[in-house]
Amino acid sequence: MENNEPSRQPSSLSELQHWVVRHLQQLRSLPRDPVVSLEAADRLTGNERVEPVEQIEIYREQFWLRHTSSLVEDFPGVGGILGQQDWERLVESYLQAFAPSSWTLRELGRRFPDHVARYPDLPHRQLCCDMARLEWAFIELFDAADCPPLDLNQLATLPPDVLETGQIVLNPALRLLEVSYPVADLRMQLLESRRNGHEDPGVQIPDPLAQQLVLYRGSDRRLYHRPMSPEAFSLLSALDRRLSLVAACEHALQAWPEHAERLQQNVAGWFQAWARRGWIVDVVPGPATHAGATGS
Amino acid sequence: MTQPRLGVPDLGIGVGLRVPHYRHILSQRPAVDFFEIISENFMVEGGKPIYHLEQVLERYPLIQHGVSLSIGGPEAPDPSYLARLKQLVRKVKPAWLSDHFCWCGVPGAHLHDLLPLPYSWEAVERVAERARRVQDYLEVPFALENTSSYMAYTSSEMTEWQFISEIAERADIGLMFDVNNVYVSAYNHGFDAHEFIRSVPHERIVQIHLAGHTNLGKYIIDTHRGHVIDEVWDLYRETIRLSGPVSTLIEWDDEIPEWAVLAAEAEKARAARNEALGLAAAHPTSKPADAHPAEPRGTSHGGRHGGPRELAAREDSSLGAAIGE
Repeated sequence: MENNEPSRQPSSLSELQHWVVRHLQQLRSLPRDPVVSLEAADRLTGNERVEPVEQIEIYREQFWLRHTSSLVEDFPGVGGILGQQDWERLVESYLQAFAPSSWTLRELGRRFPDHVARYPDLPHRQLCCDMARLEWAFIELFDAADCPPLDLNQLATLPPDVLETGQIVLNPALRLLEVSYPVADLRMQLLESRRNGHEDPGVQIPDPLAQQLVLYRGSDRRLYHRPMSPEAFSLLSALDRRLSLVAACEHALQAWPEHAERLQQNVAGWFQAWARRGWIVDVVPGPATHAGATGS
Repeated sequence: MTQPRLGVPDLGIGVGLRVPHYRHILSQRPAVDFFEIISENFMVEGGKPIYHLEQVLERYPLIQHGVSLSIGGPEAPDPSYLARLKQLVRKVKPAWLSDHFCWCGVPGAHLHDLLPLPYSWEAVERVAERARRVQDYLEVPFALENTSSYMAYTSSEMTEWQFISEIAERADIGLMFDVNNVYVSAYNHGFDAHEFIRSVPHERIVQIHLAGHTNLGKYIIDTHRGHVIDEVWDLYRETIRLSGPVSTLIEWDDEIPEWAVLAAEAEKARAARNEALGLAAAHPTSKPADAHPAEPRGTSHGGRHGGPRELAAREDSSLGAAIGE
């Protein structure tokens, strides 16, 4: 081991690193830029086969390949709707607007649904927005916290009023989503088509169809979607906002007075089914939020 | 029983734990000395990743290998990242943990790449100081891996092997020695791979990585695709002759083959290791003082092209529909 004395230039390392990062995120090929080529020759050695600017270009290409591939994996439905050309434009604009900043690629698409909503001249905008929100929800559900099912024996020991006034706790691996198109079914069709070897299946754009969906992770750890009736969805949404069961029922009745009879007939059965499915994981004694307090 | 190196045992021959093999591993329980996980794939709250981790953990020794520490970045490693990593360490209880001699970005931009550092004294001081603190914080033996690189800096003041040796000594950490990376970087930068291997502190090598790569002619990309090539097997045997028996792992991350192909590659590593240790015994002058006989096998239990292949990847999220209500 040589025992050289340190020869330091303050911040030279960090300065170099900022230079590298700035250029790796460029969409344009770096060897085409004479200024970058000169800067690279000052900072990188190159070798007999590869010019200095070609060395950093290898990493730039990898940056785009890696992150666009990750978004393809995360949002296959949006990609399927748009087709290759529009998808590439959308993804490139996203990565330029929102540089990856988390240590995990899992977070890469967090702002993608918002970007889709704001991106100009996007074909099938509402369909793409719905699909992006659905696909991000699935990403969140996939590795959300595990939660043991509701303990029915413990539930039986609770005072009667607790069920009515306590806080109903929903599974963290559950999301509620209102969409204007049947995107969950469309996504399944797209994935099935890909599994059958059709790389660019050419999607049939569906007609609009308002749906209230529960997205959840089953006990088998697979992800599911389930369309709900408006009043059941309203009730579940209220519980998700930490309203008590009584307050949530009042909320759903106010929202859907024409379905009052159906709601009153089904609420007990829904509660049992949701508990059995693992959507409800706990009932916590104590005052829950009141409907009026949420402004809903 | 072999003596531990830096408190780290020789686990034998392992393979990287990858999603396409989960079903086979959990149903058939193949004989594997140990598995290596990519830490970031399991730094999550729950779901399939944690379920599979716990299932494998019940049956096999696991060690952790990270890709996002960014120990050489402009800022110290993210405290929240380290806290989650420590949570995983407490769950997995690995005999050691590793990441890379690299950096991944600057504040506000994480590029998910293993970017090479300039081999400068400034970088030595930065990485060594942080590596020591990381090891203390995680309370587990810590090692850093030499990366494959495709660019070199004019500001470097030493060779790569001097750089990693200096840091390992100053921080008192282990070396995760990737023999394929030595080959790839030697090709890309025109240095002598044998000199690299001869020059590192062999007693600090706690684990060896072997993998395939993609030779594009002008340069080689470390794709972790395909079989380990003959030249890398030769370098591996040379490393083992110098280091003695060290836990060795096959990485295969692109075009992942069926289990049988991967298992055969692991057995090839075992044969090469045994052969090298036999040669070492026949040539004691090339054998370092800390070399030990190989542990009997089976003692433990009975990117994409263009990117570093060990980057964190998610499991398939199988979807299903349910009947509405």
